[in-house]
Amino acid sequence: MMDPQLTSLIVPTEEITKIEECLAHLVEDTGSDYALLLDKSGQVIASKGDGDRQDITSLGALIAGVFASSREVAKLLREKDFRASFQQGVRENIFIALIEEQWILCIIFNKGTHIGLVKVLTKKATDELASVLERVRQQHKARDEVLGSSFRTSMEDTIDLLFRD
Amino acid sequence: MALINVAAREIHCKIVYYGPGMCGKTTNLKYIHSQVPRDTKGDLLSIATETERTLFFDFLPLELGKVRGFLTRFHLYTVPGQVLYERTRVAVLNGADGVVFVADSQRQKMQENIDSLKELARNITKQNKNFRDFPIVLQYNKRDLPSETLVPISTLDKYLNGMNWQRFAAVATTGVGVFETLRAISKLVISKL
Repeated sequence: MMDPQLTSLIVPTEEITKIEECLAHLVEDTGSDYALLLDKSGQVIASKGDGDRQDITSLGALIAGVFASSREVAKLLREKDFRASFQQGVRENIFIALIEEQWILCIIFNKGTHIGLVKVLTKKATDELASVLERVRQQHKARDEVLGSSFRTSMEDTIDLLFRD
Repeated sequence: MALINVAAREIHCKIVYYGPGMCGKTTNLKYIHSQVPRDTKGDLLSIATETERTLFFDFLPLELGKVRGFLTRFHLYTVPGQVLYERTRVAVLNGADGVVFVADSQRQKMQENIDSLKELARNITKQNKNFRDFPIVLQYNKRDLPSETLVPISTLDKYLNGMNWQRFAAVATTGVGVFETLRAISKLVISKL
């Protein structure tokens, strides 16, 4: 049996659709600017909101970093982790909530939206996303079924081609 | 763990450069950033102190384009090397798929290398991952320094490479061994997907 922590998390198309619907509802119901779902490693799983953000990759890495860092603070305070955090700016605010130990939900909103509403609706969304995560974890699709068996060889060729002086 | 988004047909992997303070982790990322084709890389993001020491992490996203229909992304991170920042290193290691351990080849740094590698093993294990199976590649950096100040490769192997990982001699400032290391860890991570 392979160490489950070393296998990939494969998110199927139908679950991505559910995640996107959930984020779209959250943005609409709160009047937020943007919502995104991150993996704890900082990778963006899905996002919804106004326009295309060019900086979304950096945003994902930084928010996941902040969250991982606050978890270490929590441990020093003998707290398991901080389930949510709030960052207040002059124009924009960010509310971040943890889903199980795996995903991070992040909502960016301006002063037109009340933080209380964001908190309540985020709680509802995290419950929904937690059940998506549970289903994703339960499925046992083989990697080859998703990627195709020749993927590794092709990938190695690409690595040789791109990663050189 | 790597993330495979079937709808967007994307694969994301996280690689962390680990090692003692001033061993050349950021230098590795800077060299990679300076050399990869423009359409492959994103901006290099650094959270550093005023004196250019890493405070939180450096971050370099690389996009390898489509392979068999899947867009593959590698996100490279460094940790802050100074002993003070152990908890920060734990935070950056979170969710990593592979690690490059950069060792400083200077004699005076040997103990720091050993301590840092022990700490890495501890931190990987704390994430409920099996350190023995975890993808790791070693880089012996600064091989261009005068030979009387350097630890011989065989000695580095003896003290750091008990697990028989792939290891590369390097001079990160000029790029020697940097891409060799990156190719090795990337392939290792892909093999464990």
